[in-house]
Amino acid sequence: MKTKQRTGARALVEALERVGADIVFGYPGGNVVDVFDELSRAPFRFVLGRHEQGCVHMADGYARASGRPAVVVVTSGPGLTNTITGLGAANMDGVPMVLVCGQVPLDQIGTDAFQEADTTGLTRAVSKHNFLVHSADEIPETVAQAFYIATHGKPGPVVIDVPRDCQQALTSAAYPERVFLRAYHPEVSATAAEVARLAKLVNGAKRPVILAGGGVIASGASEDVAAFAHKAGIPVATTLMGIGSFDETDPLALGLVGLHGEFAANAAIAEADVLVALGVRFNDRVTGRSPAKFARRAKIVHVDCDPASINKNVTVDLGITADVKELLMTVDSRIRPAAHPDWIASINARRRPRTEGLRPLHRGVIMPQTVVESVYGATDGRAIVVTDVGQHQLWAAKRFRHTCPRHFITSGGMGAMGFGIPAAIGAALAKPAAKVVAFLGDGGAQMTAEELMVASELKLPVTFIVFSNGSLGLVRQMQRHQCGGNYFATDLRSPDFVKLAAAYGVRGVRVADGAKLDAAIARAVRSKSPTLVEVVVDREAEA
Amino acid sequence: MKEEIHRLNCYVENKPGVLARIVGLISGRGYNIQTLNVGPTEDGTVSRMRIDVLGSARVVQQIILQLRNQVSVIEVTSRRL
Ligand SMILES: Cc1ncc(C[n+]2csc(CCOP(=O)(O)OP(=O)(O)O)c2C)c(N)n1
Ligand SMILES: [Mg+2]
Repeated sequence: MKTKQRTGARALVEALERVGADIVFGYPGGNVVDVFDELSRAPFRFVLGRHEQGCVHMADGYARASGRPAVVVVTSGPGLTNTITGLGAANMDGVPMVLVCGQVPLDQIGTDAFQEADTTGLTRAVSKHNFLVHSADEIPETVAQAFYIATHGKPGPVVIDVPRDCQQALTSAAYPERVFLRAYHPEVSATAAEVARLAKLVNGAKRPVILAGGGVIASGASEDVAAFAHKAGIPVATTLMGIGSFDETDPLALGLVGLHGEFAANAAIAEADVLVALGVRFNDRVTGRSPAKFARRAKIVHVDCDPASINKNVTVDLGITADVKELLMTVDSRIRPAAHPDWIASINARRRPRTEGLRPLHRGVIMPQTVVESVYGATDGRAIVVTDVGQHQLWAAKRFRHTCPRHFITSGGMGAMGFGIPAAIGAALAKPAAKVVAFLGDGGAQMTAEELMVASELKLPVTFIVFSNGSLGLVRQMQRHQCGGNYFATDLRSPDFVKLAAAYGVRGVRVADGAKLDAAIARAVRSKSPTLVEVVVDREAEA
Repeated sequence: MKEEIHRLNCYVENKPGVLARIVGLISGRGYNIQTLNVGPTEDGTVSRMRIDVLGSARVVQQIILQLRNQVSVIEVTSRRL
């Protein structure tokens, strides 16, 4: 199809408009300058990160909070190589995103030209798919395909590499009416026999458990899982990525499963006779090192939209490749109401009180778990919680009672330190009416601190909470248990975070006195501008 | 589980980068390709790749599913040699 002639750069920006982009994150450079020229005239907002890794994590936070695909535009060479960690984090957790990257002109590819990098080679292992554009005519269709791939099947990041001459050349190629990809058909659905077997297993179960993962959130199936669990009387455990897919204040909620999980959740799975796993991928944090022993007494049903995830880590009795929401809607009429009172009572007997082992202070120093409780109280549990990676991440996962989807944002699969600050900014841009609280370690906060400038510039009301334990706490904890307490390279000197925040124009406060914690947090979460609270916490606390 | 040689027949988009993606998918997971044969089919937009890999039936099944997930892979069949 033909349309009015314009440059490839203009066609690219028009295509981004067509897919409904409302914010583009990015960082300019020589080989993408024509695209930026067009971005200056586009109807959507542009957010300049301070490092390309920050741009990608911001886009990631935006996509996780909103459920919409995010857009990033960066330059060739170092611009692209700086995005690799961000892409990897988005790819592991199935986050929809399209990254457009400038490239040297076609005739210079392969000549080691200035700021040339093999984009498709470098991003292959950290993206769902990638494209190298060969002419301006390909641009509209490639953008359409990229968004289709990013958002269909298991979502993920898609990279489009656009050589500079293709940005400048004229084209009259139009945006396609529909996307045609001969080889990609991610639509899946359960067979009638599979639905019948699922219903039979659930109806016959005496000790059933549901395990809900990130796929439940991606498919928008939280309400369906709740309806299913209540009707069939089944307790629900979640994976780290599944946090928020089931209301943790519900009496059927078991909380987090796995290595760092709740005792009652793990015990229930160990004893279950039927395990219904929805949108999970049974990663090693969930199953432990011997997946064969996972839920060993149970018939395992695994429902996922990705056929390759079924029987990958855990051998299952019934694997169903389907969209979780669609399947639950289909099976509903065959599920018989049940309550399993004895089973639920035996699980409840194993629950540890939430406050067990929780002291506000240890030798006068604030216990980190208390900080999470304080934020929970100050926000009525309604904050969008974003985390970095480390001990504070696990406390945020387990101590906050998460009640709804897309309100717990964490780098689960990749565990990328540096994710927290930029992802919180992206979430705040996606959800301007929400309160976003970022839980950060003193280590991770130093990896992407430069992005505080973005929060400051855009006056985003994000609360950044730094857990100052003077250490790379989670690794230090491993050294305590696995290296006989030989602490090496985990003692951490940090800048004065309050002064650092001030340098970026972010109001900061340091809290070391437990009596002042709640007031400081309450004040920070009420603020209409970004604030940073550095809390000095006990470094010996265990996550 | 017993390791055997499996022959995978893949029909893929005849585009640059596809071969690297397929080979990377297999080698990136630690499996060694024993033989690799690539050529165009009569339909010039489609290439055929014949790949022999050594692995257990389970591993090979996993590779096939991952290959089918690829945006550029049209069809994959396999047989034990
Ligand atoms: C980019 C990156 N490098 C290294 C690691 C390994 N790692 C995991 S947790 C951790 C310590 C994090 O320390 P901090 O940010 O202070 O958080 P804490 O555990 O103290 O709460 C490290 C180094 C990682 N996850 N990501
Ligand atoms: Mg720390």
